[in-house]
Amino acid sequence: MAGCFGVVAVISPVSSSAVLADAAAAEEPTAAQDAAEAILQIEGDIAYGQFLASECLTCHQESGATDGIPAIVGIAKDYFVLAVVEYQTNVRDSDVMRVQVASLGGEEIAALAAYLGTLDPK
Amino acid sequence: MTKLTRRRFGVLAGIGATTLAMPAYLRAQGAAPRVVIIGGGAGGATAARYIARDSEGAIDVTLINDADRYTSCFFSNLYLGGFRDFASITHDYATLESQYGITKVTGLAASVDREAMTVTMADGATLPYDRLIVAPGIDLIYDAIEGYSEEAAQIAPHSWKAGAQTQLLHDKLNALEDGQNIVMVAPPNPYRCPPGPYERVSMFAHVLKSKGFTNSTITILDPKPRFSKQGLFTEGWARHYPGMIDWLGADIIDEVGAVDVNAGVVETGFGAFEGALLNIIPPQKAGAIAAQAGLTDDSGFCPIDANSMRSTIDENIFVIGDASIAGAMPKSGFSANSQAKVAALNVRGDLTDARVFPARYANTCWSLIETNDGVKVGAQYAVEDGVIASTSSFISETGESDELRKETYEESLGWYAGITADMFGTSA
Ligand SMILES: Cc1cc2nc3c(=O)[nH]c(=O)nc-3n(C[C@H](O)[C@H](O)[C@H](O)COP(=O)(O)OP(=O)(O)OC[C@H]3O[C@@H](n4cnc5c(N)ncnc54)[C@H](O)[C@@H]3O)c2cc1C
Repeated sequence: MAGCFGVVAVISPVSSSAVLADAAAAEEPTAAQDAAEAILQIEGDIAYGQFLASECLTCHQESGATDGIPAIVGIAKDYFVLAVVEYQTNVRDSDVMRVQVASLGGEEIAALAAYLGTLDPK
Repeated sequence: MTKLTRRRFGVLAGIGATTLAMPAYLRAQGAAPRVVIIGGGAGGATAARYIARDSEGAIDVTLINDADRYTSCFFSNLYLGGFRDFASITHDYATLESQYGITKVTGLAASVDREAMTVTMADGATLPYDRLIVAPGIDLIYDAIEGYSEEAAQIAPHSWKAGAQTQLLHDKLNALEDGQNIVMVAPPNPYRCPPGPYERVSMFAHVLKSKGFTNSTITILDPKPRFSKQGLFTEGWARHYPGMIDWLGADIIDEVGAVDVNAGVVETGFGAFEGALLNIIPPQKAGAIAAQAGLTDDSGFCPIDANSMRSTIDENIFVIGDASIAGAMPKSGFSANSQAKVAALNVRGDLTDARVFPARYANTCWSLIETNDGVKVGAQYAVEDGVIASTSSFISETGESDELRKETYEESLGWYAGITADMFGTSA
């Protein structure tokens, strides 16, 4: 699992999300999926998300362009939230991302998702 | 502006029109508050873009940089190693001007009058500010090394500020013949980019090895007893460049003495070392304008409030990047970019009614040892007991697989594309 979701892997977030959803339908939701589901219920504070996202945009380009680092603009909200939770719980394997997301609580993740949702890929 | 306007309105619709508000006294004057930024590098360019982007025209942003282009020190080692060309590490300010409405002033900021709240340019022009961001990077303390000077750097380059110096070192490196040696004098702490000298030596070795120059050696004379990512570099050098690189730390050389750039000789407590190419990296301090403005302390760098990057000496001024004393954060482009975002938010909080959130900072430094052999060190930071402290961190491990090292290198390419887009507003 970890390998195919490594930071540099070129993936299609939308279709991966669909795959995950299918898998979820077939099996019991994982702990990460449960946690992500709870976060998706929180209304994100866009202004807070704008500041928090500035940290992400150092590497993940605001334009949605990818040059070895996947896009976080223009991807499905549920996919994004689940990915963050999976980095936090070591389901996904990346030193950089583990450290980056370590101090994000549910409110922060919801804020990020809300703000990133206002950006359009170029 | 058109491209931006569309997106600006998108953001605006989401957060409401509140960020357009400004203090009544400024509205009364009918003028937007003015932010002047000295230094258009990793810190200054990022701060300019974020203030302009997020204030949506409510703040007037002027960015001063001494040149009309910026060559990044980050990835300048990869240029030396032949992995990047010079154009790919050189950027302009056109998008910041055309799409973000930032006024770019090309020239040297000569002085700051903190009382009058103005910046005076070398050509005499005066720029008033409501808030000033000082992001000049470092200056080199040439006379800390006997025999070294700005003129001597034309023969024995430091290349610790990118541009002509980087090209000079590149040319000198490529002019070496088999059997000619390189001597690097590494800097004492604190200096910009802790792993930088050692990545650079790796690139020197890569070039020599690629040419089959098996009789050339590289000696690092280091005033420090240890260095960043030492285990990783030591392992990589033994693996890729056996017998080529000698690191002599403070325990051996005691100290670096006089340098004779014409003879190519560096004196140390352990004898003299000779090289056809000397790369002398002197001790460093905040860019001169910071001291001129009275923002530095005895360390030569600028004390700041960890919550905001605001100068502890002047509340109308923020200092970011290499010039600041940023607790546990290394002096890096990544750090400067991260600090810029905290400063930008606080500037907006001062001048508009933008909400200010608790500061958070991040850094990762990637280094290339040999083709596809990348390593990294990084951390997340928060304010603890008034200082910027690391809250979690990681470092590459020795013995990692080739596949992981290649991934790490590729990640660094993504980071470079990302951070330069984040600084200059360009999209790939
Ligand atoms: C060889 C090397 C490799 C590096 N590799 C990395 C890396 O891989 N990753 C990383 O994160 N960091 C790296 N760094 C460190 C990084 O380059 C610096 O930490 C970063 O550039 C600091 O940003 P800054 O904004 O403080 O200063 P700078 O980026 O240096 O920007 C300051 C700008 O202000 C201008 N300026 C200064 N004074 C004035 C004035 N009075 N008037 C007008 N303009 C002025 C300067 O000319 C410059 O353009 C490396 C550094 C070196 C030397």
